[in-house]
Amino acid sequence: MRKLFAILLTLCMVFSFVSFASAEEVTITFAFWDNNQEPGMTAIAEAYMALHPEVKIEVQVTPWNEYWTKLEAGALADSMPDVFWMHSNQFFKYVTASKLLALDFDYDYTPYPEGVTSLYTYEGVHYAVPKDYDTIALVYNKEIFDAAGIAYPDGTWTWDTLLETAKKLTDPEKGIYGFGAPNDRQSGYLNLVYQNEGFAFENGKSGYDQPATQEAIQWWVDLQKVHGVSPSQESFVDMGVDDQMQAGKLAMCFTGSWMMSSYTNNELFADKFDLAVLPQGKTRASIYNGLGYAGAASTKYPEVVKDFIKFCGTEEANKLQAEKKAAIPAYAGTEHYFTDNFTSINIACYPEMIAYGVQYPFSPNKSLWESQEEELMNEVYAGSKTVQEACTELHAIIVDIEGE
Amino acid sequence: MTVSAKTRAPRLGRRERYDPKVVAAAFILIAPTIIGLCVLNIYPFFDTIRRSLYKTQGLGPETYVGLKNFEKLFSDSMVGHATINTLLYMVLTVPVGVLLSLIFASLLNGKIKGRDIYRGIYFLPMVVAPAAVAMVWRWIFNAENGVLNYVLGLVGIQGPSWLADPNTALLSCAIIGIWSAIGYDLVLILAGLQSISKSYYEAAEIDGASGVQTFFHITIPLVSPTLFFVVLMRAMTSLKQFDTIYLLINTRNPAYKNATVLMTLFYREAFEKFNKGYGSAIVLYTFVIIAIFTAIQFIAEKKFVHYD
Repeated sequence: MRKLFAILLTLCMVFSFVSFASAEEVTITFAFWDNNQEPGMTAIAEAYMALHPEVKIEVQVTPWNEYWTKLEAGALADSMPDVFWMHSNQFFKYVTASKLLALDFDYDYTPYPEGVTSLYTYEGVHYAVPKDYDTIALVYNKEIFDAAGIAYPDGTWTWDTLLETAKKLTDPEKGIYGFGAPNDRQSGYLNLVYQNEGFAFENGKSGYDQPATQEAIQWWVDLQKVHGVSPSQESFVDMGVDDQMQAGKLAMCFTGSWMMSSYTNNELFADKFDLAVLPQGKTRASIYNGLGYAGAASTKYPEVVKDFIKFCGTEEANKLQAEKKAAIPAYAGTEHYFTDNFTSINIACYPEMIAYGVQYPFSPNKSLWESQEEELMNEVYAGSKTVQEACTELHAIIVDIEGE
Repeated sequence: MTVSAKTRAPRLGRRERYDPKVVAAAFILIAPTIIGLCVLNIYPFFDTIRRSLYKTQGLGPETYVGLKNFEKLFSDSMVGHATINTLLYMVLTVPVGVLLSLIFASLLNGKIKGRDIYRGIYFLPMVVAPAAVAMVWRWIFNAENGVLNYVLGLVGIQGPSWLADPNTALLSCAIIGIWSAIGYDLVLILAGLQSISKSYYEAAEIDGASGVQTFFHITIPLVSPTLFFVVLMRAMTSLKQFDTIYLLINTRNPAYKNATVLMTLFYREAFEKFNKGYGSAIVLYTFVIIAIFTAIQFIAEKKFVHYD
C-alpha cells in the first residue's frame, strides 16, 4: 500500500513537471562585441521582449579579439549564439560553410545602404539585415588651428591643401605633427586609393597593380617618410593614432565614426575637436562598412530568430540604437537620432559621405591575404621595400589566392 | 635537493611480488592524472601530427595535402625569421637569466638582514599575470614617455624606440623574459645551494680558499644538478615563449620580422589565418628544435654535472 502511494505521488510530480515545461518559453542568445554599443542593443532586446513576453533574449558581449574565435568554435560545434553581429571580413567564411540562417522572408531592403545589403547577400539569398554603417572623416584639433591662425578644414579641401596645412602645423619642437598617417587600411590609405580612382579589390580582381592605387599609397606613406608631417610608424606602435590625436599631438587625422563615442567621452578633449568631410583627390570617396544582424543555421528557434532580426531592422530599433549613441543606424532617415547626440561637433559629415562612400573591400579569402598586406606594408615603413614593390608582390599573392 | 641519477626503486627479490590490492589502489590513484595526460597532452600531440598533413579553408572540411605544409614551411621566409628570433631569444635569456639567478641565490644564501623579504620580492614577478607584466613594461619601454628613456635622457643618452626598432625589439622582450623568470630560477637554485653540506665550506676556509675560489670549485660543482635542471627548463620555456611577444609586437610594428618567434607565428597562422594544418606543421617543427636542444643538454650533462 505504501509503495503504491509512493509511486502515484512520483507520477504526479513527473506529470506536473511536464505540463510546466510546455509553457512555450523561448530563450535566445544575442551576441556581439563592443561594450559601447551594449546599451543600444539591450534597449532593442528589451523592446522586443515587451512585445513578445514569451521570448527571453540573453545579451552576450565579447571583446572583438575573442568574439571571432568564440564564434568559430561555436560554429564548429554547431552551438553558435542564436542572433549575432556579422562583419564583412568574416561573412563569406560563415556563409560558404552554411552556418548562417537564410533570411527567406519577404523584406523591404530599400531603406538601407545598398552596399551593406549586398554585402550580406550570397547567391541571391539574404543572410543578414543591415544594422549600421560607418564612414571615415577628417578630425582636427581646433586649438592647434587657432594658435596658428589657420582656417578650419572644410569641403573645399584637396590632397594639396591637406599637405600644405599639415606642413604649416608641424612643429617638432612642441612635439606636434600636422597629420597622423599610420599604417592603416580602412581609416588610412584605402580612402586615398579610391579618391585617386584606383581600387584595392573588386569583382574578384586585385587593383594593387594599378598605377593609381600605387600612387595613392605612395602619397600616404610619403606623409611620414618624405614630408615628415606625420609621426613615424614606430611612434604609432607605442601610441595609436587616435590616442595621439586625443593627447593633442596631432593637428589632424582620419578616423571612423565608431570612434566618436570615445572622442566625446574624453572630457579633456571633447570640446577641442571637430570634424570635416575627407579632402578630395581626383574624386571624393570615403570607405564605409556596415554590420548586419545574422542568425545561426543551427538555431533551435529559426522562426523566433527571424522575427527578432526583422525587428532589429525596423525604424524603431534603429532609432533606439542611434539614441544610445551606438553607431550610425542603417535605416535611412534615422541618422539624425545618432547625430542629435553630438551637438557640439559636425557629426553630420559622416552620414553625408555615404553618398559617395566605397564599400570596404571584401572577398571570400580576404583573411588569407589581408595579413600579408600588413606585413608587406610593414616592410615599406621599415624602409626595406618600396610601395611599388610591395604592391606588385601583394597583387601576385592575391591573384594566386583568389584565382584572378 | 640533489637529483641523484643513481638511486633506483627498491627491488624485490624473486619470490616476493607486489600485493595485487596495492597495485590496484596505485593505479586508481594515478588514474586521474594519467587520463588527464592522455586526453589533454598525448592525444592532442598525435592529432597535431595528423593535422599537419591536412589543410583547412575557413570553416570548411579539411583536405589532405600530405607533406605540402612542410614544403611550405621550409620555403617560408617568415619561418626562417621566426627560427632565428627564437634561437636568439634563447641565447639572450638563458645564460644571462641563469647567471643572474645564481648570483642572487648565492647572495641570498648568506646571512644578510631582511633576507626573507628579499626572497619574497624576487619571487613576486612570477605571481603576476603575463598580460599585466606586458602592459607595464610597454609603458616602461615607451619611446617618448617611458621611464627607461627618461632615465637615459638624464644621463644624456637618446633612448631608442625599444619596441618598434628592429634592433631592440627582441632585446626588450628578452629583458622582460629574464626579469620575470629570475624569481623561479632563484628559488630552485637556492634550494640546491642549501643542500650543500657546510662541511665543504669549512674545509675550504681552513685550506685558505678565497671567496671566488670557493664559488667556482665548491659551489658550482655541487649545485650543478640543480643548475642543469634550471638551464633545461629555461631553455625549453624560452623556445616556447609566446605571451609577452604576442602582446607587445603586433603585425603593424616595423620590427615585426625581427621579433616574431615560432609560437607567435604559429598562433597567427592557426587562429588568425585559420590555417590549422600549417600551424600544426610549425608546432611540430618547433618540437623538433626543442628536442635537439634538449638532447644537446643531456650530452652536456654527462660532462659537466656532478652527482653525489
